[in-house]
Amino acid sequence: MKYSVILAALGVLGAGSAVAQQPPIKIGVLYPLTGGGAVYGVPALAGHQLAIEELNAKGGIMGRKIESIERDDKLNPATASSTMKELITKDKVDIVLGGLASSVGLAMSEVSKQEKVVYISTVPKSIQITTDKLHKYVFRTSANTDQEGDTMAMLAGRNKLGKICHLELDYAYGNDLEVGILKAMPKYAPDAKIVLTLKPKLGATDFNPFIPQVMAAGCDGVLSGLWGPHFVSWVKQAAPLGFFNKIKWISGGEVGSHEIAGELKGEYPDNVISNTYELWYHGNDPSHAAFQAKLAKKLNTQETPQWAALGYIGVMYTAAAMEKAKSTEADKVAEALEGLSIGTPVGKLTIDAKTHQANIGQFWGPMVKKPDRAYRMMEPAEYIQPK
Amino acid sequence: MTLTMFTLNAFYGLALAMNMFIIASGLNLIFGVLRVINFAHGMFYMFGAYITFTVAKSWGAPFFVGVLAAAAALGVIAFAIERLLLRHLYDKEHLMQLLFTFALVLLMSDAAKMIWGTDQYSVGYPPGLGGAVNLGFVALPQYQLFLCAVGPLIAVAMWLLVDRTRWGRVVRAATQDREMLSALGVNVPMVYAAVFTIGSALAGVGGALAAPRIALVPGMDATVINECFIIVIIGGLGNLWGSFLGALAFGFVVQFGTVLAPNWQDVLPYLLMLVVLLIRPWGLLGRPETN
Amino acid sequence: MPQRRTLVASAIVVLLLALLPLSGSRYAVDLATEVLIYALFALSLNVVIGFTGNISFGHAAYFAIGGYACAILLTTYDWPLAVSLPAAVVLAGLVAAAVGYFCVRLTQIYFAMLTLAFAMLVWGVAFKWKEVTGGDDGFTGIKLPAMLAHHVGYFYFTLAVVAAGVAALWVICHSAFGLTLVAVRENAVRAGFIGVDTRRMRWAAFTVAGTFGGLAGALFGMYHRGMYIENAFWTESANVLIMVLLGGIYSFVGPIFGAAALHLLQTFTNQYTPYWPTVLGLILLVIVLVLPDGLIGLAARFKAHRGARRGRT
Repeated sequence: MKYSVILAALGVLGAGSAVAQQPPIKIGVLYPLTGGGAVYGVPALAGHQLAIEELNAKGGIMGRKIESIERDDKLNPATASSTMKELITKDKVDIVLGGLASSVGLAMSEVSKQEKVVYISTVPKSIQITTDKLHKYVFRTSANTDQEGDTMAMLAGRNKLGKICHLELDYAYGNDLEVGILKAMPKYAPDAKIVLTLKPKLGATDFNPFIPQVMAAGCDGVLSGLWGPHFVSWVKQAAPLGFFNKIKWISGGEVGSHEIAGELKGEYPDNVISNTYELWYHGNDPSHAAFQAKLAKKLNTQETPQWAALGYIGVMYTAAAMEKAKSTEADKVAEALEGLSIGTPVGKLTIDAKTHQANIGQFWGPMVKKPDRAYRMMEPAEYIQPK
Repeated sequence: MTLTMFTLNAFYGLALAMNMFIIASGLNLIFGVLRVINFAHGMFYMFGAYITFTVAKSWGAPFFVGVLAAAAALGVIAFAIERLLLRHLYDKEHLMQLLFTFALVLLMSDAAKMIWGTDQYSVGYPPGLGGAVNLGFVALPQYQLFLCAVGPLIAVAMWLLVDRTRWGRVVRAATQDREMLSALGVNVPMVYAAVFTIGSALAGVGGALAAPRIALVPGMDATVINECFIIVIIGGLGNLWGSFLGALAFGFVVQFGTVLAPNWQDVLPYLLMLVVLLIRPWGLLGRPETN
Repeated sequence: MPQRRTLVASAIVVLLLALLPLSGSRYAVDLATEVLIYALFALSLNVVIGFTGNISFGHAAYFAIGGYACAILLTTYDWPLAVSLPAAVVLAGLVAAAVGYFCVRLTQIYFAMLTLAFAMLVWGVAFKWKEVTGGDDGFTGIKLPAMLAHHVGYFYFTLAVVAAGVAALWVICHSAFGLTLVAVRENAVRAGFIGVDTRRMRWAAFTVAGTFGGLAGALFGMYHRGMYIENAFWTESANVLIMVLLGGIYSFVGPIFGAAALHLLQTFTNQYTPYWPTVLGLILLVIVLVLPDGLIGLAARFKAHRGARRGRT
């Protein structure tokens, strides 16, 4: 007994000195921190940092401290490409996370392939990352447009939409999401008809050319991929005409998040069914409350943004894969990531060994008024996870 | 296109034109007098919108107090920039002013991030302007009607100021011959400061008036600055009514073009400018420069 | 003909750069490759700005055409580099010639805005012609000959191409053609009186600028193994314009310094703080207020100062 205690103590001491000698594990991360993408990049980075603080408090990964090297990708793929190379060659990072825009995700994936460094795409949804352009070192822990489109088609069926107006932003995400929806429509809503498809440009602030067309088309529902500011501008311009009185608005693009509801408050329209990765007031996992509390403390607000969860999950996957591989070597970490399951604040996730895509779900539900709140909340919030 | 749709599109085009005119008229004034290509004008617009958000939403003041606050704040900021920094550049290499305004864009974008963070914001419609007026065959949103009224008012006010007052004569003279004006005892530097202040305050007002109808996000300055330049250029540099006409052309082309040829919507303003400049190289109401 | 001193100095610079890979720093080699490409890009733009006195707001168009064309020919059509690269450069030059034909009818800000309009159409084509360019997903996975796939190989390739490009531009700008351009810039009316077809001269300058801009773009695409529509966007045009202004437009080498300074500042400030725009903005502000002729003005001032001292002793 005594003996074993001494042995254990020696072991701890030994481990302790080994820790002291071992260099930290370096995680490189790129998010847009300035300009238009900062709305998402800044909170995603906050979640990333939270995860690293948490892991370091517990002793890091494999007993090695984690060093986070954070850069602004400026929402520009060429900048992301240069900066990621810099992280790899100058800072010698062991893995790279992040990205927001599809083009940035694909540019980072390209560097990952060239340099043979694992890249976990934590926000970009471009389907190409895990299909045409898939390679050994790229993984995704965010949803993709096929998963999102599948759920939207399912909701169109469930809400018995007959005549549908389809709105997508005219760029990669919108076009990919359209494909995802159209693929799934026959399965869930065989009788529904898309009578009008309109594609406002990315970054549009003026939706007046489109609103009258949708109102005149006589649809009973809209399937929309307008995210963030696009949705807000649409609402502001359409609401005075009574647009949302008659039309059910089923939307991807995470406009069911608290960021949008909390900002629009009383302006948030009726009849919206949408999605979000995470809800500060509703978790899907016992660990969610702890995560949310820590995030609330870090950001100094109870009503935390959803994007933080994505940054957080990316880091947690990194830690789990390295622990499993017992190595930071890219090939071993990549192999460890294939098929890896971990618990996250939104529930248990598994990365598919073939597609390298995590089966991350989203909360979907109607946005309803609450008597005790100034803003709408998603209720009931249903967690829909791809199979 | 039915009559209803046509009316609606024409109306929306007009409302967009008027909002853009307010911003572009400030750029035009600065451009016409100071000959400064002010890249930061879009930033002033964004600050106008954000200041309105702070005053009208965070502090709960009436919307129009927010608009006035935006104008005043941008006026003060611009006056300080002109007096402290910009005036040192008039006699230096002309192109360095471009570099200067680019530095301003960088500094102000970061200042906005430090003050307001990176969340997106929304400003509600002022009371009584959040609905629509039903004309029977078509319903028009009140706020856009309001914009259609404010635009011409600002145009006439600027015309009176520049064309009908003594100060306006001085400003026009300053565009022609600065040295002569100075020799006549006019305080030219103060004229420049005043022009920069008024022009920038107009950007602030434009941003404030745009705030209720759009989402406020970082980066909202980027497209506006190009669109303002396009309006000023197709109208004819330094010409107030040219900018008005340019704004109308912009509004109608963007509105109708987006409806009829949605595939081209990303480049419509540029196509408009291309066509105008190829047919009238000095803009619709501009005159060829003599040097 | 170039002075012997210029030749010697240039040879020394190229030689020193050629020694860089010996440092063993992959990062330094990559960064130097990027700087070289931007230097050529900025230098090409200054053929329009510095030598004709007109600002182009749309130079990214030719950069992007060169980059996309080279990438597509190499990857989609499997053409060898020795054909793809020249073809891409020629295409960029041809488009510049076509656009320039219209633009040179205008001067000053009107010229600038027309170049912007055309450039945004090029951006629109890159964006919408998804089957060929990949649209806003970008064109990634560019195939390169094995020799260039290695970063050191690519660095030497870039160094050789950029050195040749700079030399060619030097010869062009210091030829009778270049001197005539300066005359056009300084006094177009007088140049016209002595029989110079000013518009044609400016057209030629625009075409030269576009051609070399295309060359820089081709190098850029291959370096990143990808071309993106952002490379054709007006922000990229503004970026290279800032490089030129920063370096100084009235000197041949000014834009090279400007490109190096701006790209390195952008890279290093991003490493240092997420508030890099403030740091970069302040640095630019100081440069603008203190150095009215750009960075090259600093060198000139330093030289003058030294010269004055030497004169005294």
